Amino acid sequence: MPTIMTVDDTASMRQMISFTLGSAGYEVIEAADGAEALKLAQDRKVDLVIADVNMPNMDGITLVKSLRAMEQYKFTPILMLTTESQAGKRDQGRSAGATGWIVKPFNPEQLVDVVRKVLG
Amino acid sequence: MIPASLATRWWAWAAAACIGSWAWTLAHVPTLVAIGSGCATLIAVVLLLGHGVRRYRLQQASAVLAPGPGELADATAAAEEDEIAALLRETNKEIGEIPPVDQILQSMEADNHRRRLEDLLRRWVDVAHRYSEAALVLRKEIHAVVQHTEQAANTISSSFQAVINKATLQAREAMELLEGTQGGAGEGAPQSLTDFIRVSDERLTKMADEVVRVADLSVQMVKELDGVQSRTQAIDGFLLDVEKLADQTSLLALNADIEAARVGEHGRGFSVVAQEIRRLSQRSHEFSDRIRQHLKAVKVGLHKTYGDMRNLSAADMEHALKIKQEVLELTRSLETKNREVAETVSRINTISREIAQDVHNVVVSLQFHDITSQKLKAMLEPMDELRRTLFHLMQETMAVGKNLLPSRPAEGAETTAPVPEPPSEDDAGDSVIRKLRAVGAPTSGPPVELF
Repeated sequence: MPTIMTVDDTASMRQMISFTLGSAGYEVIEAADGAEALKLAQDRKVDLVIADVNMPNMDGITLVKSLRAMEQYKFTPILMLTTESQAGKRDQGRSAGATGWIVKPFNPEQLVDVVRKVLG
Repeated sequence: MIPASLATRWWAWAAAACIGSWAWTLAHVPTLVAIGSGCATLIAVVLLLGHGVRRYRLQQASAVLAPGPGELADATAAAEEDEIAALLRETNKEIGEIPPVDQILQSMEADNHRRRLEDLLRRWVDVAHRYSEAALVLRKEIHAVVQHTEQAANTISSSFQAVINKATLQAREAMELLEGTQGGAGEGAPQSLTDFIRVSDERLTKMADEVVRVADLSVQMVKELDGVQSRTQAIDGFLLDVEKLADQTSLLALNADIEAARVGEHGRGFSVVAQEIRRLSQRSHEFSDRIRQHLKAVKVGLHKTYGDMRNLSAADMEHALKIKQEVLELTRSLETKNREVAETVSRINTISREIAQDVHNVVVSLQFHDITSQKLKAMLEPMDELRRTLFHLMQETMAVGKNLLPSRPAEGAETTAPVPEPPSEDDAGDSVIRKLRAVGAPTSGPPVELF
């Protein structure tokens, strides 16, 4: 059972993602910002990270960079789920090491498809 | 400069009235109008004074000329010219002395300018103050809206999750229940409605077949009983033969007895034999009678059995056929029910798929909160930035105002100026615009992209 971590400062978004992926049979853990996510990721092994970009304390791009700097998360898929749709931001995410970019609002079916694809 | 006698002249009064009205105007009407009216008054006064001076000189000249209008005309004309030239010089000198009025006007204009600047500064400060208060209220309201929508979205989302979970569970249980009626056959007892129908059909058919077979056997037995009956009749015939034989034997014994009597003593032994033979014949008759009686009882029994068997076989057959028909109808009815159940299962499947689609739509729609919150939060930053910009402009305006008006700084402006909130970052405006674009702009790339 792969473990997925959702990182978003909006509680309802975390709830939606947990519900969608929980229904698809994944174990989902939640973090309210980048800093909390980083701490959780250090404590346990996470198979996939779905993170927002704009968050307090630590934003999504910094989180991706920090995770990529850790040995156990060098190749873990990280998806950005955000309202940002600009190419510039996407490029930032890509160069930081994100695996993919999903623009909000997400479609549950599509999200599950993408998760299946990146988890292999 | 102007003689006192002139005061009695109308133009002098008019000039005084003009100055007076201008003075009144200056105190009561806006500055620009006052300046305009000042200029008009000045021109009117100059014209009136010029007119008065010319009139006065002409009167003086005519007074000089009046006593001797005859031969002295040339001499007086020359004197008059000199006089006029002198008067003109005097008038010019008097006009040259007007500048003090300009100075007054200039000083008044400067005063007005200062007052306008002061007024402008006060208005700036007032606007800044009010905007700052409004912005703070707006900020508070926006935060409240964001919080409320977040709470509402959380409640809606958890309620929906609960509803969806329950609906899913309900659908699954209904499916399991219905699938149980449609499921595969087990080894022992029937596991589903289909199995039940099949097994009961098999067993009932088997029973009906058994009944039919029993009925067939009955018919067979009836036929065989027919054979037995005809054999009893044959036995009856044989008994008649036996009785005939007995009769003949009896007759033979009688004859022997007669012959023995005729022979006399020598035939006595023969007579005994003849008697024995007669007795044997009688016993044969008795046996034959008994056999006939028994045979009769057998025939009666057989006849009854035959009738019973016939009835039984007909009833069995009828019953068996009826049961078979009923079993068939029952099976058909069960099959119809089963088809209905299958259709219900199919409908439940369709509804489950629809529920799944609805759930997806709900999940998409419930994300509105995150998007609206971000948009609302994005509104705050340009607002704060505008406030900061306004404050800087205010400060600059005040600095310029102080340079212009060193003696009269805008006290009101300083006391009512809002406490400045220094800009947090230099490029705050740019970042705000970028964010706004990011939030408000239509999607410029694909909704999902894997790098």
